Amino acid sequence: MDNAIVKLRGYKDGLHLIINPKVSLNEVETAIHELLSEMNQSLSGTSIQIDMMTTPLTSDDLKELETHLTKSYDLVVSGVNVLDEKDESPILAAPTTHSISQELSLDTPTHVENAQVVRQTIRSGQTTACLTGSIILYGDVNPGGEVIASGDIVVLGALRGSAHAGANGSLSSVIIAMDLVPLQLQIGTYVNRPPLVQKPRGYPEIARVGAEGIIIVEEFIKF
Amino acid sequence: MGKVIVITSGKGGVGKTTSTANLGTALAMIEKTVVIVDADVGLRNLDVVMGLESRVVYTSMDVIEKRCELSKALVKDRRVENLMLLAASQRNRKDDIRPEQMQDICEKLKEEYDFVLIDSPAGIEQGFHNAAAGADEAIIVTTPDLSAIRDADRIIGLLQNEGIEPINLVINRLSATLVRKGNMISKNDVLDILNIDLIGVIPEDTGVIASTNRGVPLVHTDRSPGAEAYMRIARRMIGQRVPIPDMREDSFLDQIANWFSRNK
Ligand SMILES: Nc1ncnc2c1ncn2[C@@H]1O[C@H](COP(=O)(O)OP(=O)(O)OP(=O)(O)O)[C@@H](O)[C@H]1O
Ligand SMILES: [Mg+2]
Repeated sequence: MDNAIVKLRGYKDGLHLIINPKVSLNEVETAIHELLSEMNQSLSGTSIQIDMMTTPLTSDDLKELETHLTKSYDLVVSGVNVLDEKDESPILAAPTTHSISQELSLDTPTHVENAQVVRQTIRSGQTTACLTGSIILYGDVNPGGEVIASGDIVVLGALRGSAHAGANGSLSSVIIAMDLVPLQLQIGTYVNRPPLVQKPRGYPEIARVGAEGIIIVEEFIKF
Repeated sequence: MGKVIVITSGKGGVGKTTSTANLGTALAMIEKTVVIVDADVGLRNLDVVMGLESRVVYTSMDVIEKRCELSKALVKDRRVENLMLLAASQRNRKDDIRPEQMQDICEKLKEEYDFVLIDSPAGIEQGFHNAAAGADEAIIVTTPDLSAIRDADRIIGLLQNEGIEPINLVINRLSATLVRKGNMISKNDVLDILNIDLIGVIPEDTGVIASTNRGVPLVHTDRSPGAEAYMRIARRMIGQRVPIPDMREDSFLDQIANWFSRNK
């Protein structure tokens, strides 16, 4: 478990804001501001639950936080879960985000395991597509290049162009890249346009559809 | 048997004609036999940059339409041995020529010359396809800005589809000062995206403009950074191992400081 002050996770029942046990309200608010301003999509109108280990915040603090979330970010706080430090919370212990997003998929297609390996850099004006499975690309996707797969897309290089996973409508597909700095991501019918100026973060990232139908991008650790 | 190299870019105005003129001249100076071919039909200017405009009598169009022999259409550059120019017709349009006709000219030229350099027009249309039709290899010219890089990337894809190999990169108009200030994309950033072999870096050099206007390629006259960079590329083109010097991205004071810390 890393010790970020606040984290955002998409689970079966929606988005959860997880707050670190030992911090003040001020720190929480600053951390939320940092987290949300880094996000590549507005969460406006999304409902969210707050998870905390044995209340670091008083109930007054919590009220203030709720109003803050609603006022500043247009989030709807749908619940607060105070978890006992002793019992391993089922949510915090949830193994990987990927397996959760798979459970969450509404359409669960007959699972496609077919994968096409492409050993090429996809340059501006070029498209590579696999509509019968996933694509594993040994190379980069440059701005103006495009990769389309009915399954997942794994780029063992920099994804700087566009990628469309789950092109047959599967929302459980994911996009993984060593450097995820795309012009556009699409999973199923969801499109996400990241901010124009992005710096490679130096670690692989995964994009998937979280609860509430938004594309979530986060560090890729393992399946 | 020589080789045909197309010099192309996608984006206009990045230095294709300047590079063709200077590399052609530089190769002739190191004793290769060279023809430079203007494939920018309708907007010819290789002859102007070479200062040979007044001596052009026939063009590649006259050769294609059989009004004159190929050898007769070549204009000899009198400043250096074994350098010829094949000019483009100014009256015609790019789609008046078919790729097979350019290919035919290239095949004939490379039987007699070591290097045939083709100055491609900008764009990805017919004119580009004609220029690339007879090419064995390519040199991509780009400047360090996003739109030129994007166009270069597009062109590289098209050339790879044609099986043209190797494709080497020239980065033109790099300014160490701007890179250092963080206002220009660096050499490594360009290479990171385009992912082809770098054959040379030409610095921003005001001498280029002056030489363009005088009709004397830079490599003839001075030892400017631009001329030296073109000479090094020519040597790499004939297979010599000439390192690409790192442009000084440090200021003079930084360099002195580095020197002292290295020699402590
Ligand atoms: N290294 C350089 N430093 C300064 N100026 C340069 C440099 N290289 C090229 N230029 C200038 O840029 C202009 C365009 O160069 P050039 O004609 O060679 O480009 P081009 O790619 O052939 O253009 P076009 O696409 O129109 O054929 C010219 O005025 C030239 O003098
Ligand atoms: Mg030109």
